[in-house]
Amino acid sequence: MLRTLAAVTALGLAGALAACGGGDDDATVKDSAAAVIQVGSVYEPQNLDNTAGGGQGVTEALNGNVYEGLFKLTDTGTVEPLLAKEQKVSDDGLTYTFTLRDGVKFHSGKALTSADVKASIERVTAENSKSARKSNLAVIKTITTPDDATVVVQLSARSISFVYNLSYIWIVNAAAKDLTTTADGTGPYKLGEWKRGSTLSLTKFDGYWGTPAKNAGVVFHYFTDATALNNALLTNAVDVVTSEQSPDALAQFTSNTAYKVNNGKGTTKLLLAFNDKVAPFDKPAVRQAISAAIDDKKLLTSIWGDYGTPIGSMVPPTDPWYEDLTSVNAYDPAVAKQKLAEAGLPNGFSFTLDTPSYDPHPTAATFIKSELAKVGVTVNINTITADEWYTKVYQKRDFQATMQEHVNDRDVVWYGDPDFYWGYSNPQVTAWIKQAEEARTTDEQTALLKQANKQIAQDAASDWLYLYPQIVVASSKLSGYPLNGLNAQFFAYDIVKN
Amino acid sequence: MSKRLHLYIGLVLVLIVAGAVLVSYLWLPFAPDDTSGGRLAPPGGDHLLGTDKLGRDLLTQLLIGGRIALGTALGAVAVGGVLGLSAGLLAGFATRWLDDAAAVVLDILIAFPTLLLAMLIVAGSGASLGTAILAIGLAMAAIVARLVRVLVKQVLGRDFITAARVAGVSWPRIVLSHVLPNIAPVLLVNLALQAGLAVLAEASLSYLGLGTPPPNASWGRMLFEAQATVLTSPVAAIAPGLALVTLVIGMNLTADGLRLGVSDADR
Repeated sequence: MLRTLAAVTALGLAGALAACGGGDDDATVKDSAAAVIQVGSVYEPQNLDNTAGGGQGVTEALNGNVYEGLFKLTDTGTVEPLLAKEQKVSDDGLTYTFTLRDGVKFHSGKALTSADVKASIERVTAENSKSARKSNLAVIKTITTPDDATVVVQLSARSISFVYNLSYIWIVNAAAKDLTTTADGTGPYKLGEWKRGSTLSLTKFDGYWGTPAKNAGVVFHYFTDATALNNALLTNAVDVVTSEQSPDALAQFTSNTAYKVNNGKGTTKLLLAFNDKVAPFDKPAVRQAISAAIDDKKLLTSIWGDYGTPIGSMVPPTDPWYEDLTSVNAYDPAVAKQKLAEAGLPNGFSFTLDTPSYDPHPTAATFIKSELAKVGVTVNINTITADEWYTKVYQKRDFQATMQEHVNDRDVVWYGDPDFYWGYSNPQVTAWIKQAEEARTTDEQTALLKQANKQIAQDAASDWLYLYPQIVVASSKLSGYPLNGLNAQFFAYDIVKN
Repeated sequence: MSKRLHLYIGLVLVLIVAGAVLVSYLWLPFAPDDTSGGRLAPPGGDHLLGTDKLGRDLLTQLLIGGRIALGTALGAVAVGGVLGLSAGLLAGFATRWLDDAAAVVLDILIAFPTLLLAMLIVAGSGASLGTAILAIGLAMAAIVARLVRVLVKQVLGRDFITAARVAGVSWPRIVLSHVLPNIAPVLLVNLALQAGLAVLAEASLSYLGLGTPPPNASWGRMLFEAQATVLTSPVAAIAPGLALVTLVIGMNLTADGLRLGVSDADR
């Protein structure tokens, strides 16, 4: 459920906006401005709060649409100021001073002040916060608000990702109550109505400080079944599907000019995560053996056909420190057997694989079981629900190995935290990741993270099975929708329906 | 349709599935975890029904699914039959307030949908075939118990029971030689019907990911997996669907035939 947990704050490098549209004459602009965009998705939010386990659906629907951060991530992965007009960093890199944009109002009518920003950051770092980026913000020492438009943040150590991490933080009205069912942000849309199990609507906010939305509103339609979702698109009940879940349904759209199939860049990785703290996975040789015994490419083809990307580490190609590491611990059953023998397990062993009960995990687990049987390793598949995963695996660490989708970009840094659920602990890697975070330049940061990632891949800290494709299918009448990493966010304000 | 035809068609359908399952213990076209077939290969050639996403032979999966379906039916009927019969007999002999209480408890249990009850049990103790069988069996027990209670009450009101009591026959003996033989035909019909429902319940649980865990190919799981590929590989959905229909209709027709036989005997 990192998918759920991480997605709570997942912005995703790739989840940025592919700005299309523009060039319309006045009449079309007028028509399309009145249009309400119908969006189809399988990710209904658990609740509307991204610090309370709202899931990836809440990011998809509300991030950038209803809520905004001090900064936002663009399509190319650069961070742009949003609610922050300017920032100053002290020479020692420990004091950040942000000046807020003027004239920004919450949907409730209240003006944005520095107190809201302070409260919003503190919501994410609070003890009961379920935000996946909480640990990255532990570096914050104090937040002060000298005046209504200025926020000063003191850090306990340099943090080159600090501004990037701020883009995960929604600025909410400090006075707002119960954000799990209501919303009060500064974005171009305000929350309309959320009919649980069915739809969530957003309506254009007339008091928006920036460029207004190019449409009158958005309705997210939630489906539990991908086939029903595709049928909704075929019958024009929805205009766009944020993320296709199966390659086999695509034929009906690729052959039809009324639809456009977009193959964007994703950041979601499917992991076979070992509990690196417990035997036999505490031995790198065992993890390397397992990684070498599984034909990741065949698995990818089985599940995604011609889509998706083989990946050799936690780092997707959109992260600045990406390197093709698919050759590290690559598929080779003979090497797998040899490594097992090295680890003192020439006759193999057996382990329990805690497998989330929803797609694609059971299918992937079946494949892994069959692959590992060939090198004498027996897998007992134990299917669990998303909630069980959170309590049993993520909180109690009561597992040998598990499967999980990790949606975030730039999340290799979690391997530097020995207390993370997978329990990977390599002091050298932890030191490199810490140094990277305290680096003075991005070049220095990139070099260190490349080095760390290579070591993590060589240690086979986990087995990174593949990178999901990011496929958006939309009616040909639609333009301006985001193409990349949409599992994490779906900016709707530039969408135009002709 | 005559009662015999019901019975015969029903038995033939059940026997087809049972026969195929027996064969599967002696011979399978491919090893269950053999993924060498290629993704979604069409029917024909080596793979009579084609392959699934992972390249596993569909016929092999279907046969293994048959084992699970029949195993569930037998297991759940055994659990439900034994528990239901025991509880029903006790309730049948109960009198006054105990009788009223038994009736109310059974009614409440029956009002609870079988599948929901099974889902609650599975959710509480983890998904496995054993849990699914137990859960379905328990839900079935309430239905059987209520039926048995009513049947026992009817039998106990008949003159030959009074005669047996007067003759000094003990209660356990009366149950064995008078009550059970008299309620057996109706009970049998009900159990045959319940077997069909158990097959459907297991398929539903597996479809929802709460039944037989992978890699075991339950028909319900096969249907779930085929859902996404129904346009490109319809056989993957049609085959388990047809197998499920064959077995359940077979069991229902058998029950129907038996029921008609029983009501004839009553006349």
